[in-house]
Amino acid sequence: MGIHRGHQARPLEWLAEKFIFLVSLTAILMVFLIFVFVAREALPLVLGQMNSAAARPVIAAKEMDKLKPEELRTYLGLTATEFKQLDKEALQALMEVREEEAKEAPKDKDATLNTTEWRYLFQPHQWSDSRPEDRYVWQPIGRIHKYNLVPLIIGSLKTTAVALLFSVPLALAAALYVSQLASPTMKEWLKPAIELLSGVPSVVLGFFALMVLASFLQGAFGYQSRLNAFVAGIALGLAVIPVVFSIAEDALTSVPRAYTQAALALGASKWQAAWQIVLPAAAPGVFAAVVLGFGRAIGETMVVLMASGNASIMSFSLFDSTRSITATIAAELAEAVFGGHHYRILFLIGAMLFVVTFLTNLAGDLIMHRLKGRLEGKAK
Amino acid sequence: MAAFSSSQVTLNQSKPADGAGAPLITSERVNLFYGPAQALKDITLTIGERRVTAFIGPSGCGKSTFLRCFNRMNDLIDSVRITGSIKVGGQDIHSPDVDVIELRKRIGMVFQKSNPFPKSIYDNVAYGLKLHGMKAKSDLDTAVEQSLRGAALWDEVKDRLHSSALGLSGGQQQRLCIARAIAIKPEILLMDEPASALDPIATAKIEELILALKREFTIVIVTHNMQQAARISDHTAFFYLGELVEFDATAKIFTNPAKRQTEDYVTGRFG
Repeated sequence: MGIHRGHQARPLEWLAEKFIFLVSLTAILMVFLIFVFVAREALPLVLGQMNSAAARPVIAAKEMDKLKPEELRTYLGLTATEFKQLDKEALQALMEVREEEAKEAPKDKDATLNTTEWRYLFQPHQWSDSRPEDRYVWQPIGRIHKYNLVPLIIGSLKTTAVALLFSVPLALAAALYVSQLASPTMKEWLKPAIELLSGVPSVVLGFFALMVLASFLQGAFGYQSRLNAFVAGIALGLAVIPVVFSIAEDALTSVPRAYTQAALALGASKWQAAWQIVLPAAAPGVFAAVVLGFGRAIGETMVVLMASGNASIMSFSLFDSTRSITATIAAELAEAVFGGHHYRILFLIGAMLFVVTFLTNLAGDLIMHRLKGRLEGKAK
Repeated sequence: MAAFSSSQVTLNQSKPADGAGAPLITSERVNLFYGPAQALKDITLTIGERRVTAFIGPSGCGKSTFLRCFNRMNDLIDSVRITGSIKVGGQDIHSPDVDVIELRKRIGMVFQKSNPFPKSIYDNVAYGLKLHGMKAKSDLDTAVEQSLRGAALWDEVKDRLHSSALGLSGGQQQRLCIARAIAIKPEILLMDEPASALDPIATAKIEELILALKREFTIVIVTHNMQQAARISDHTAFFYLGELVEFDATAKIFTNPAKRQTEDYVTGRFG
């Protein structure tokens, strides 16, 4: 028996190792597949194959035979497989439907616009059926489908910003207190109590925000719309606090006690040691906590759906009702026509959300490594 | 309280003929309990000014615990209870009007494992100074240089003062910790096995440094290394199972100890 027996020496360990490797691979695969699925649904939109114009050019159903199959397919907006499955009669029927639609189509200038084009998604437009000015409008249901994403993006950013501004200082202060200053008994009570917040279902949190928090905050600040970005942000903050607290507390606790002792021996107070030595030493972990908090805030749906007032108003004011990307998907996907432009737009914003979270985490990771390197004296 | 609130340290210059130094720290019948367990039993001893006093003894004998009594680092452990009195410069350090922060400013400490802050070399030394109110950049620069020179580290780090302290070698890190401790000009320097994690060359440097620092500071050092105690200390205290077995001039402890236990320990028969 030589020493070079490789994996035959401990077959069980080898098997277990490979199994765990496979499981972790599955996790990566799942994330990838989810993204592929979401992005695939949005793809025709990105490639410019969708047309949401209410009035489109019409070819009389009688003239179907004059069209080449390829032309007919594009005209009806079908995919190649769908086209193959339909017989001549069905195609004829579809063409008649198109003719009927055209008769009822609105006659104004916007009816012929394909509102799924990029410029209508991101740039303001002067719509024929609203005030005569360039506006950002999200109105997917109606005579003309207006899919401007800017109000939703602003809505998501507004609530997220409020949530982070509210929760991060509180969560970090709590983490610093619990990990550095609190007595062991106090810590034993406080830590589970704060972490229990993460166990509150977000629908309950949303309900609380809707019924209690909204009235209370309106009474305290006296603004007009009862449900707005501010209320949603504060409620969202309650969901973010345990996430940030938990990770920041771990990071602060794992800072070697030797640092604190050295600071105390130099005559620092407990508070000075915590604030000036421990917090900077835990910077990478604390930063990771904030990034994760951001992910939670921008991805949270139910709280925002219930507490934000859900009106897609283009406004930077925190005290106007607002609507986030996530709430829009949740509220509208069920009633969007499968495979239609509205449906695809919702998948597009879903994919956008995915990309934003992914990029944030990536950037967060890079910055974290930088901070870590600097602390350990590797980077300049 | 005056003794602890003044930032300027006044040293008694008189030196008794017997070489024991003017008494600076006196401990009387000190008992220390971790919960129900007694770690120190009736320790009474006097430490002289500008002398190096070494505490030796097997692991768990209470020498480090006793050392940490002097700057009240044991306060950080909830279950600790101390009886008896410890006086530094005549002032009882457990009296309620003593400010622990002032006390720790007067009594610096160097730990067993080097523990520089994850900051730059400069900031490590400047931290204590800033803590005690030094703000002007020029003052800080001078004080940092002085301390680093004092710790025999200046020449090695002067070109990279602003790079991370964690990039230094173990021995350099420990000397940085000494520089950090002497920067705030304490009277007393407590050292808890400062060289136990270092190689012989780094250890020799630290020992040299201790002998140099003796001119300015009163040093109390805990060590496992008996040769080290013999080389650098003026007085040696031998602890065993929480009791002070013998305390005398180092030469006497190592050549002609009064107690059998001490002799067994220093000759390596047990420990």
